[in-house]
Amino acid sequence: MKIEEFKDFTIQDYHHLLEEKKISPLELVNIFLERIEEGEDKIHAFLFVNEEKAKNEAREKTDNWPEELPPLWGLPVAIKDNICTQGMPTTCGSKMLENFVSPYDATVVERLKAAGAIILGKTNMDEFAMGSSTENSTFGPTHNPLDLRRTPGGSSGGSAASVCALEAPCALGSDTGGSVRQPAAFCGVVGLRPTYGRVPRYGVVGLASSLDQAGPITRKVEDAITILEVISGKDSRDSTCAPYPPFSRNEIPSLEDIRKIKVGVPREYFSSRVEKVIGEKIQEALGKLKGEGVELVEVSLPHTDYALEAYYIVASAEASSNLARYDGVMYGLRVEGEDLQDMYFETRTLGFGKEVKRRIILGTYSLSSGHYDEYYLKSMKVRTLVRKDFEEALKQCNLLITPTTPSFPFFLGEETQDLYERYTDDIFTIPSALAGLPSLSLNCGYEGGLPVGLQIIGGPFEEGKLLGLALWLEKLLALPSPFPELKEGRGQ
Amino acid sequence: MKEVVYLSELEKIARLSKLGFSAEELQSFLRDINDIVAHFEKLNQLDLQDVSPTSHLGGGEPPFFSDEPQAWEGSEEVLKGAPWVAGGYFIVPRIVDKEEKENEDRRI
Repeated sequence: MKIEEFKDFTIQDYHHLLEEKKISPLELVNIFLERIEEGEDKIHAFLFVNEEKAKNEAREKTDNWPEELPPLWGLPVAIKDNICTQGMPTTCGSKMLENFVSPYDATVVERLKAAGAIILGKTNMDEFAMGSSTENSTFGPTHNPLDLRRTPGGSSGGSAASVCALEAPCALGSDTGGSVRQPAAFCGVVGLRPTYGRVPRYGVVGLASSLDQAGPITRKVEDAITILEVISGKDSRDSTCAPYPPFSRNEIPSLEDIRKIKVGVPREYFSSRVEKVIGEKIQEALGKLKGEGVELVEVSLPHTDYALEAYYIVASAEASSNLARYDGVMYGLRVEGEDLQDMYFETRTLGFGKEVKRRIILGTYSLSSGHYDEYYLKSMKVRTLVRKDFEEALKQCNLLITPTTPSFPFFLGEETQDLYERYTDDIFTIPSALAGLPSLSLNCGYEGGLPVGLQIIGGPFEEGKLLGLALWLEKLLALPSPFPELKEGRGQ
Repeated sequence: MKEVVYLSELEKIARLSKLGFSAEELQSFLRDINDIVAHFEKLNQLDLQDVSPTSHLGGGEPPFFSDEPQAWEGSEEVLKGAPWVAGGYFIVPRIVDKEEKENEDRRI
C-alpha cells in the first residue's frame, strides 16, 4: 500500500486492515518510516526516529499475530519529546537534556504500548514547551507542512506537523496554555486538551504542574476518541489525576441528543484582535450548526482579557520551580565549575535557551519575597474569576465555540516588535487551560491553503458531549484531510 | 516605559535562579522583563480583595495513597544518565573540605 491511500484513514481503518491481515505491522511501520525519510529534510518534525526498535517491534508483532487485536495493535504513534519513553531520548528540545535517555515510560506511553502501539519517534517542540512556534527548540524549528515558510505552531509543533504531513497516523502532545490546540489549528488537524486530571502526568516533564495535560493530535475526531480511551484514567503515581475510570466512547451522547445541545458563543472571542477571515470561517461553521437546528446563545466571559497575564505569571512561577531540578547532578548536562555553586551556574547558563531563562527569571521574580502577593497570589485569584466565568457561561449552554487562534500561522523568523505580542497568540487557548476545562481544536476551513482552527470548550469531564459535537461538526464541514506535497510555499 | 524591575534586583533574581548573564545580556533581559511586567500591571484594575485563590483544580482534596515501598529494578538505568557516578552514588565537586577550611579560617 502507498502512503496516500491512508489520507482519510482513521485508527479504526488501520485496525480493520490489520484484523483482516491485509497489511502487517512491519509493512505499516515501513510505510511511515519511508514517509518520514521523504519529508523530514523539509519539515523537521522529529528529533529522534525510533527506526530500529520500531522495526524490531513491528517484526515481532508480525511474527506473533494475536487472535484478538488490542485497539492500537501495530499502529505507529509519534510522541512529543517532553514525554518519557524508555530507552529513547527525551530532550524537551533543550541542550540541557540533549543526551538524556528516559529510564522509564510515562504512564501515557505505557498505556499506548499496552494497547499495542509502536513508538515511531520523538517530535520537536519549543524548549521545555515554552513557546508557540517550535522556534525555541535548541535543535532548529519545525516547518508547517501546509506552507513550509511558516511555523506549525507550538509547543507541540513537531507532533502536529508529523500528523499533518502523514509522517505519523497520530501523535501525543502536551498542552499547558494551548500547546496541543494551537499547533493542531495551524496544521489543519485535531488537537484535544482533556480536562485537567483526566490523563496522568506521570512521566510528562513538568512545565507548569497545575496546567500541564497530555493530549492526542490526530487527523480525525474519531482518532482523538480512540487515543483518549487508551491514555485516560486514574494513576496512583499522579495525585492530581482524578480517581475516575478511563474515558469511554459510551459517554458520547447520541446524535439525536447532540442536536439538542445549546452552543454558547463568547462575545469576547470575536473582538477586533481576530483576523477577519478567521472570524468569518467560525461564523460559517456556527451557521451550519444553526441550519441543523442547534440553538446558539451569546455568552460573556468577562475576565478573558486578564487571563493572559495571570497565565504567564502562574506558568512562569511553576516553571521556575520545576526547572530548579536541572543542576547537572543527577542527569542531563553538566558543566564543571570550580565548586558546586559554580557548577550549578555554568550548567544552567549553558543548558537553557533564552526564552527558558526569561521565564525562570520572571517566575522567580513573581515568587520572590515582596512580589508574591503582587503577582503570584493575584494571578491565582484571577484564575478563580476566569474559572467562575466559565461556570456561569456553561449554565446558559452546554458547550462553547470560539476561534482557536486569533491569526494564521506566522512566518518562521518573523520579528515582533513587542515581545509580549507573541505571547498573545495563545489568548484563546489560555483561559480554558487556566480553568482546567476540556477543549478541542478542529479545522473548520481553509483560506489560501492555510487552515482555520475552531475551538470547542466543555465543562469538566464532559469530553463526551464535546467529542460528540466535534464528530458531528466534522461531518457537516466535510473538509479534505491534509496531504501536503511538501513544496516551498503554500498548498494543501 | 516605567522601570519596575531594577538592575540590582535582576542581578539578585539571576543569582537565586543560578543563571549567569553578561552585562549586555542583563541589559537585554532588563528591557524584556520590564516590558512583560508592565503588562502585568493590568491585574491591578481588578478588585480581588474578596476572591479566594485557585491553587489546584479538581473537586475536593487530592487523593492520598498509602506509603508502601515497592521494589524497583531501574537504579542502574538511572545512574547511566548521570554525568558522574561512583559506587552507586552521584558525584559532585567536593564541598565538605572547603566548608571545614572556611570554619577554620573563621576560628583563626
